[in-house]
Amino acid sequence: MTQHHPDSHSLMEYSAGNLSDPHALCIRLHLDQCDHCQSRVDTLDSLGAVLMEQQASVSVSADMFDHILARLNDEPEIPPMAVNKAGNALERLVQSDINDLPWKRQLADVSVLDISHLFPDQPEKVVLQKLAAGGKAPAHTHRGQETTIVLQGAFSDHKGVFNQWDFVVLDQEDTHKPIALEGPDCITLSVLSAPLKLTGTFTRLLNPFIS
Amino acid sequence: MTNSIRAIKATTGDRSVSTPNSTPNRADGKKDPWSQLLEKVGKSQDRQAYKALFEHFGPQIKYYAMANGLASHAEELVQEVFVSIWRRSCLYDWRKAAASTWIFTIARNQRIDILRKLKRTNAEITIETEDLWQIPGENDNEPVTSLHRLMAERRIRESLRHLPEEQVTVIAKVYMENKSHQTVANELNIPLGTVKSRVRLALGKLKVILQDQNT
Ligand SMILES: [Zn+2]
Repeated sequence: MTQHHPDSHSLMEYSAGNLSDPHALCIRLHLDQCDHCQSRVDTLDSLGAVLMEQQASVSVSADMFDHILARLNDEPEIPPMAVNKAGNALERLVQSDINDLPWKRQLADVSVLDISHLFPDQPEKVVLQKLAAGGKAPAHTHRGQETTIVLQGAFSDHKGVFNQWDFVVLDQEDTHKPIALEGPDCITLSVLSAPLKLTGTFTRLLNPFIS
Repeated sequence: MTNSIRAIKATTGDRSVSTPNSTPNRADGKKDPWSQLLEKVGKSQDRQAYKALFEHFGPQIKYYAMANGLASHAEELVQEVFVSIWRRSCLYDWRKAAASTWIFTIARNQRIDILRKLKRTNAEITIETEDLWQIPGENDNEPVTSLHRLMAERRIRESLRHLPEEQVTVIAKVYMENKSHQTVANELNIPLGTVKSRVRLALGKLKVILQDQNT
């Protein structure tokens, strides 16, 4: 199972519905695979319900219930809800197996794909990154905050080993130099709240990371 | 702000009398009265049960919309939530979530949907709200519910009563006004670290963090 989980603050912001779409996607992908965090979110959802119950209430217009019934009468057949959709939310979004995406190779071991355009109106940069099995990424630091979830394979850096569905948040204090483990290529989804900067000599090569 | 929280506390007492007339059936175990009503809607499209839910939760959802800055869309939100409740009620499973938790997640998702519609520029939205924010019980992979989960609301209601006001204020702002930790800090004019530590203390007492450390 996963070892690295989102912190309680992020789960609370998720449960409250305050996260941007890309951040919510990272949490959702983790929850799909982590019963432990899912159960924390269930508790937080109940906290939301209790808080809502304890608020003041405001009476609704007298005819609203009839309006609702009229709407329901217009569609007497309850349309069956599609519950089990194929793939996870990201696969549905990119409509592809993540290995078959039009990856842009940047270094021998590093490929990226910017999918920010799939999140219109969101300020963050959303990037898929692929580090070939056993490959090394150049050392870099972060100017803003970067939230990453491992979608496939695993990588290690000075902080430890990150396996599939592990959740990582990095900020400016972190300089890291990830190495992909043997096995399938390591693919991650990262949400960058501000562009990252390189410390090594790869500045120009990894240009898409710097806007 | 302090005033509004006081107002919240003041109304809490009044609300406690508002339970449906039907006495919870012993045979239903931990099923609370609202969950029983919701189940009736799902199983037999019971309109009386539906109306009872509307009368209880409708005004709460309207306040939720207004607190969230959706005053001019508050009634729209209530309508959308109830139409959605009707359509989804066949999927409701009381063992996975209490009715109020289930309804809260629908209200949250419909709020996000309305905000998305209002914010939408020309760009097409490519990801569905429900791909990101899940309604409990609508996922086959979900583990079978533990008693712990069923007791969650009762336990939270109890713990919340004992939390210091400053902690409740912060959590209520996050949930009811959809403020980020940073915004709450700015509004209360306290450092972000203080907001985080208040949240951490509160979540610790609500046993959300305790579970953190078990893994
Ligand atoms: Zn987790």
